[in-house]
Amino acid sequence: MTIDGIHVDMNRLKKGEVNLGTSIMAVTFKDGVILGADSRTTTGAYIANRVTDKLTRVHDTIWCCRSGSAADTQAVADIVQYQLGLFSMHSGKPPMTQTAASIFQEICYANKDQLSAGLIIAGWDERFGGQVYQIPLGGSLHKQPYAISGSGSTYIYGYCDANWKEGMEEEEAVDFVKNSLREAIKWDGSSGGVIRMVVLTKEGADRHLYLPDTNYAERHTENVSL
Amino acid sequence: MAAMFSQNPLMNGPHYATTDAPKTNDFREHRFYPYTDNGGSTLAISGADFTVMAGDTRHTSGYSINSRMEPKLFKIGGTTADQHDATIVLSVCGFAADGNALRDQLDTICKIYRYRHGKAMSANACAKRLSTILYGKRFFPYYVHAMLGGIDEEGKGVVYSYDPVGSYERETCRAAGAAGSLIMPFLDNQVNFKNQYAPGSGVGHNLQERERRPLLLNEVETVVKDAFDGAAERHIEVGDSLQLLILTKDGIEEKFLPLKKD
Amino acid sequence: MPGFDFSNYNRNAALHAQGMPLPKATSTGTTIVGCIFDGGVVIAADTRATSGPIVADKNCEKLHYIAPQIWCAGAGTAADTEFTTALISSQLELHAMSTGRKPRVVTCMTMLKQHLFRYQGHIGAYLVVAGVDPTGTHLFTVHAHGSTDKLPYVTMGSGSLAAMSVFESKWKAELTQEEAVELASQAILAGIWNDLGSGSNVDVAVITPEKTTLKRNLIKPNEKVPKQQSYKFARGTTAVLNEKIIKKSEIGRYVSVQEVPLESDKMEVDS
Repeated sequence: MTIDGIHVDMNRLKKGEVNLGTSIMAVTFKDGVILGADSRTTTGAYIANRVTDKLTRVHDTIWCCRSGSAADTQAVADIVQYQLGLFSMHSGKPPMTQTAASIFQEICYANKDQLSAGLIIAGWDERFGGQVYQIPLGGSLHKQPYAISGSGSTYIYGYCDANWKEGMEEEEAVDFVKNSLREAIKWDGSSGGVIRMVVLTKEGADRHLYLPDTNYAERHTENVSL
Repeated sequence: MAAMFSQNPLMNGPHYATTDAPKTNDFREHRFYPYTDNGGSTLAISGADFTVMAGDTRHTSGYSINSRMEPKLFKIGGTTADQHDATIVLSVCGFAADGNALRDQLDTICKIYRYRHGKAMSANACAKRLSTILYGKRFFPYYVHAMLGGIDEEGKGVVYSYDPVGSYERETCRAAGAAGSLIMPFLDNQVNFKNQYAPGSGVGHNLQERERRPLLLNEVETVVKDAFDGAAERHIEVGDSLQLLILTKDGIEEKFLPLKKD
Repeated sequence: MPGFDFSNYNRNAALHAQGMPLPKATSTGTTIVGCIFDGGVVIAADTRATSGPIVADKNCEKLHYIAPQIWCAGAGTAADTEFTTALISSQLELHAMSTGRKPRVVTCMTMLKQHLFRYQGHIGAYLVVAGVDPTGTHLFTVHAHGSTDKLPYVTMGSGSLAAMSVFESKWKAELTQEEAVELASQAILAGIWNDLGSGSNVDVAVITPEKTTLKRNLIKPNEKVPKQQSYKFARGTTAVLNEKIIKKSEIGRYVSVQEVPLESDKMEVDS
């Protein structure tokens, strides 16, 4: 908090902290939801990790995209993963995406002074199918048909707005995510590396990997979880 | 960091009160800082009829090495570009770009002096002139610890050492730069025999100090090499090569010896 | 009371406000690396510790023991890497005893990141965690703020850029143990020569399912050059102003005495 106790100082990242410069997004489609992210992690100008996995599992078919401080978002995701694991064991059924998003929000809002975490939560559940929630810096929660975030997202607001369609087929949605992220990576210096995706449907989670070597054209299957 | 997530003006505006948050006492001053420290050390010792000047050749900034062979010792006031007939040596330690500028300025002045007077500048005249140059930039100093070595009019070795704004002094021995504080006590002990007493010459306060004598050239070279090997062991900005200049009435001999490179 | 002692915090804050500089901690301005190979993992480090521009220790150990098959390379504040790894090592051993299972690398990594995250980067430990456990071979980096990365080859410390340039140009998938040791050593050497915060020797630890081999000072490319002359002073060179002899039998009056067998490790001095 700053001097007046109302306004939040959001211009900070702890000194020398590892940062996810990032382009991340999640979109709903006909059978579920797709999460996508670049793979660049930076400390200042140095790329600390060029094949980062910013798509993190918190339950079988509930995943999140992380942006901001790597330490903060990993810590939050770890807590939520634990809570959802506990929840599903107690209730004997998988949690809903809304529940996961709510736990995320609770943590992000209660600790907003200390966290720099920008998250997108996407999941598939039996009751509501594919859903996307966004939690920006202050800890508010927004349910959206699709969400984009991170420094690279600014370059693709227009593209996504023009090209997104309700109820796309899986292949079409994968292409939409891939093409959006290609633009974000192209224009944003803090984003780069490979494109990772996770497709969440009734069938479970399916990972995609696209390398810049082939201009992100081919889907690769090796070392997907690295 | 907010900008990292939401460079979108819509998100920065109405959603979060960052742009209109009152900022008090939170100024960040941006300004041009023209100086850097390029590390390294220099050393000069004057003998009865010679002067030895030395410096490592490592040029650094921060934790990086810019060059492993960037000499800090310059022959001054010769008639040609290769300075084959020079009689004076300038050493500069600190900000290398200022050192080069200072060397060029002093060399030019020495050449003009030679043209006007038909003879080379004496070491003590050059020393006084160098002081004047440094003081001329009293409020925007050359960020260097300079030393001047030569042979005086009686044929004795001389060393002058300067602060960045021109205060100077004739000395028998001086270490400067990054490892100056590491080398200087060693020199006090080995060149001026400080804290050394003649064994058995008395008891308690009556003990006689060890008799002082000027070191021979080969003794000086030995001490200089050992001083720099020691400095390279313990100071991260010292290393790579040791440049040695030996000034006698016959001219200047230049040598390079290896130092540790880590 | 467990944890850190904050009792001088207010005094030190007041002193600092008046312009007193913070005490300078020994930093291992360091090059550390790790690399997975077929059948295990190798970690390596240089051996220079610095305090500002001064070399504080020419042959320190930056490879820390966590468990028999889990080792850590540490960069950053020397005290923090030392105590953090020791603390986690202790907790992990208790954990292993209570579960009756071998400790896992992910467990170690999680404990480290949670400990470091709690202290919000004030504990300046930057670690490379490597090991072999029943689930396989693992290699992680842990940053002081608590973030972790999982990669087949990693570097950290001030020499990390020099070391990473070696990995990025020479690394390949499916390395043999010998190739991995060579590659890691070359990466450390790049740090030793090109980063002023790193220097002296190369330490390597090789971890396989069978055993852990610590190769202390595997490469020593910076042996001290012998002095040109002896600096031994004649007896009596130092003035003696006062002399008082205390008999060994009476020394107990001045200090508490404990007989220790000597000869084993003499202090290193210049002849």
